[in-house]
Amino acid sequence: MNTTLIMSGDYSVIIVEGRVDTTNAGEFEKEVMAVVESGSEKIILDCSGLKYISSSGLRVFLIVHKKMLAKKGCLKLCSLQPGIKEIFDISGFSSIFSIFPDKQAAEGD
Amino acid sequence: MIQTVNLCKSFGDLIIFKDLNITVQKGECVAVIGPSGAGKSVLFRTIAMLEKPDSGQVFINGTDITQKDVNINKVREKLGMVYQGFHLFSHLNVLDNITLAPVKVSGMNKTEARKKAMELLSMVGLTEKATSYPHQLSGGQQQRVAIARSLAMDPDIILFDEPTSALDPSMTGEVLAIIRKLARSGLTMMISTHEMRFAQDVASRVFYIDEKSVYEQGTAQEIFQNPQREKTRMFIRKLKVFSYSITSHGFDMVAMNVQIELFCQKYNIESKKINHIQLVLEELILEVSGEGESNRQLKIDYTIEHSEERGEILISFNYEGDFFNPFGSEGEGDHLGIVLITGIAKNFDHAYKDGQNTININI
Repeated sequence: MNTTLIMSGDYSVIIVEGRVDTTNAGEFEKEVMAVVESGSEKIILDCSGLKYISSSGLRVFLIVHKKMLAKKGCLKLCSLQPGIKEIFDISGFSSIFSIFPDKQAAEGD
Repeated sequence: MIQTVNLCKSFGDLIIFKDLNITVQKGECVAVIGPSGAGKSVLFRTIAMLEKPDSGQVFINGTDITQKDVNINKVREKLGMVYQGFHLFSHLNVLDNITLAPVKVSGMNKTEARKKAMELLSMVGLTEKATSYPHQLSGGQQQRVAIARSLAMDPDIILFDEPTSALDPSMTGEVLAIIRKLARSGLTMMISTHEMRFAQDVASRVFYIDEKSVYEQGTAQEIFQNPQREKTRMFIRKLKVFSYSITSHGFDMVAMNVQIELFCQKYNIESKKINHIQLVLEELILEVSGEGESNRQLKIDYTIEHSEERGEILISFNYEGDFFNPFGSEGEGDHLGIVLITGIAKNFDHAYKDGQNTININI
């Protein structure tokens, strides 16, 4: 798993790559929460490079979502690969998150 | 018609089979299947007494042919054998290959033998090749001549020892078609083959040879549709199996996933399915290992079975301890892992016996 933070307009874009599973969910949470707690109001999680996610990874997404809701911020997901989208659909997470086909669409909404 | 009693055969220290017992009734077509090296060919050669058994008996039509006073050549006149390598006489043309034994061994006159040979060549579809020499024929045609030759002696029984294994796939069909025709005629036949579909179609009964004996036997329906024993199942379904054991909460999941990936890549399992396998296993391990109970001894064994034939994955997940069915659990937690497993699985079940929980999941 690897995360990269870039700024794009008002958005902090976190590019997530590789696998997010039980072995690295804690590390993933720490890296994303660091951005949340740095004061970013608008966050996009760019999942174009995310290859695998398990329930441990999904829970981190949920924690970040709740945190952003609590601070009335905005969290968007974009560029989910079909295999990842399937997991979001199965878990019901597709209806919880704002999911966009790409970063441009997420920023434009 | 054919019966072996406690038949044993070894070459030096290498035991080929031990206490092998089979019975083939008159008019039956029996397929003998099993992995390469299981002893199918040796069994056939021993039945024909081309190999002498170490012990045990072989009965052909009620006569124990292992007895010294038996005229084995007389027995072999009624016991045809078709080999994978054809074994035609290269210096004789097709007609002479077929008439040789009836004339020389049975004393049939040449005209009658030739007439019969032409009938047999007609039956195997090679009338126009009567004067050809073996080297002028394709492999499939040579094997059809070999079948006609064995029929020329009016055998009671024919043993087919992997009759198509030396043939190109394009020539296999023509030979199998002839054998199918013979099976319908009521000739007693034993066929060792790797052509599973053919064996399923043509055989009334099937012997699966493994572990130096008849590991499982039954009707073609029983063996191919519902094999009872593990090795038969693995062989029939062309199963490739990955096994893994976990004995500690601190096990290396990253290394485990690498091994799963290598196994799956070896058998061309698509990456989406690899992710599903890894996801199901990760969630199951989390469910049964109990995050708050890290002091408890962990004992998980699982297998991933890949059926090349059906393109299916079966995960068999076993863990020791008290009864615990994660699919029926209404305890604390979000059950997100179970939601994912049940969303991915085609079907799943849980069983508990003697302190062992077993979950089977089809993907």
